[in-house]
Amino acid sequence: MSATERAASKSADDRAGSPLVPGDAGSRDPVVRVSSLTKRYGEVVAVDDVTFSLAAGTVTGFLGPNGAGKTTTLRVLLGLAEPTGGEALVFGRRYRELDQPVQRIGAVLESNDFHPGRSGRDHLRTLALAAEIAPRRVEEVLALVEIEAVADRRVKTYSLGMRQRLGLAGALLGNPDLLVLDEPANGLDPVGVRWLRTFLRRFAEGGGAVLVASHVLAEVAQAVDRVVVIDRGRLAANAALDELTGGGRTLEDAYLELTGGEMS
Amino acid sequence: MSALLRAELFKQRSTRTALGLFGVMLGLVLFAVLLHGLGVASENADSAREQLTIVLGPGERIGALFAGLLGAMSMTAEIRHGTIRPTFLVTPWRGRVVAAKVCASILIGAGFGLVAGAATAAAGTAAFWGRGIDVQLDGGDYVLLVAGTAAAASLWAAIGVGVGALVRNQVPALIGLCAWLLFVEGLLVGDVADISSIGRYAPGAAAAAITGQDPGTLLAPAVGLVLLALYAGAAAAAGAFATSRRDVA
Repeated sequence: MSATERAASKSADDRAGSPLVPGDAGSRDPVVRVSSLTKRYGEVVAVDDVTFSLAAGTVTGFLGPNGAGKTTTLRVLLGLAEPTGGEALVFGRRYRELDQPVQRIGAVLESNDFHPGRSGRDHLRTLALAAEIAPRRVEEVLALVEIEAVADRRVKTYSLGMRQRLGLAGALLGNPDLLVLDEPANGLDPVGVRWLRTFLRRFAEGGGAVLVASHVLAEVAQAVDRVVVIDRGRLAANAALDELTGGGRTLEDAYLELTGGEMS
Repeated sequence: MSALLRAELFKQRSTRTALGLFGVMLGLVLFAVLLHGLGVASENADSAREQLTIVLGPGERIGALFAGLLGAMSMTAEIRHGTIRPTFLVTPWRGRVVAAKVCASILIGAGFGLVAGAATAAAGTAAFWGRGIDVQLDGGDYVLLVAGTAAAASLWAAIGVGVGALVRNQVPALIGLCAWLLFVEGLLVGDVADISSIGRYAPGAAAAAITGQDPGTLLAPAVGLVLLALYAGAAAAAGAFATSRRDVA
């Protein structure tokens, strides 16, 4: 069963008002809750008192200039960095407190987190072994992101688009309910971009949540329901897409207003 | 835990790094031991102590060094290539990841050491025969050489994981291990007796002691083994602690 299929069945459960799956603690919490999050590196305040949350079934664009604190926020959310103040919870808990985190959250922070000498399939196998995920699932996600044909090639021979797909395959291994992606469209060709957009929409329609950091505003405007903007570490906006745009105002106009209009 | 160990062993099998290190190690062991065996003055190789220390000792040291490099790279290569991020996303309990790397490196390091020890024994003995030097080593000496090199290399692999986790940057970690084992230790256990009295407690000297080298100057094999195990435990614990505490870039 694919992520989207599984997500679809979850959504059907929700619509039918069926009880929560036993042991599925935390389902009533927002998918992501970032509260007064602050992260300092010495004198530098990378993230300054940021608060927002994500609900299931939505795609949220996470926007901001370079160095605004997007990646730092994501790293704290995913347990890779400790907050200086506040907290970032996923499904009501800190990342490290989840039993099997990859079965709840799939994340891609960098487009090239692979050993160049390892094949794409073997990269996924290392993750599957550590997460105790069946080898069959590796083949499923390879098919899902459509890179079976190059799966046995070493990653150093991959184009950036193939690496993006391989990263996404890794994020999907555990059949997660939340996807956290940093610049996932970077390096994808137009067919790949459309494929990704469709994939993320289906994922959210199936009950999943997506948090996608991006600079490609035109692409974001086509793919997201909500937008969270941070600028110089502080929250600049947290709104539905159509609250920011409309009446001839594009997402780019809104973004440049919110972030001071400076080139970054 | 066993799942993490399987994952770490698979990481080692699925790139050419470990095989490349193994090949270079084997070539260097044969080269160094043959060179010492063929080059040593025969009056400097007529006792078991001299044969073991002067001719066969370099093989042990190379085995331990390459096992240490393997262990260090199990950490630093993940940091260098960014795979540390997916690794910690799957297993956010970082101390367990380091522990699995220590276990995997000990297993592979033991294999490195076993081969290094056997190659050392074969090359050294061949050199003695070729030159008509009487081999003064008995079966027990050979067993201690091979098993001791395996033990020394496996524990140095664990030290390497700790060093890699503490240093993080690959090039300084690997250069540091090479410089320590090939250069600094040689100074510590040199001809100056009052330095040797302290230098024999250094981790490279403890590893050499396990194979029975330089009795009297170095520690007894069992004491060397215990001491090196303490070094390995301390390095691994420090690496696990630092990795758990520090943010991942």
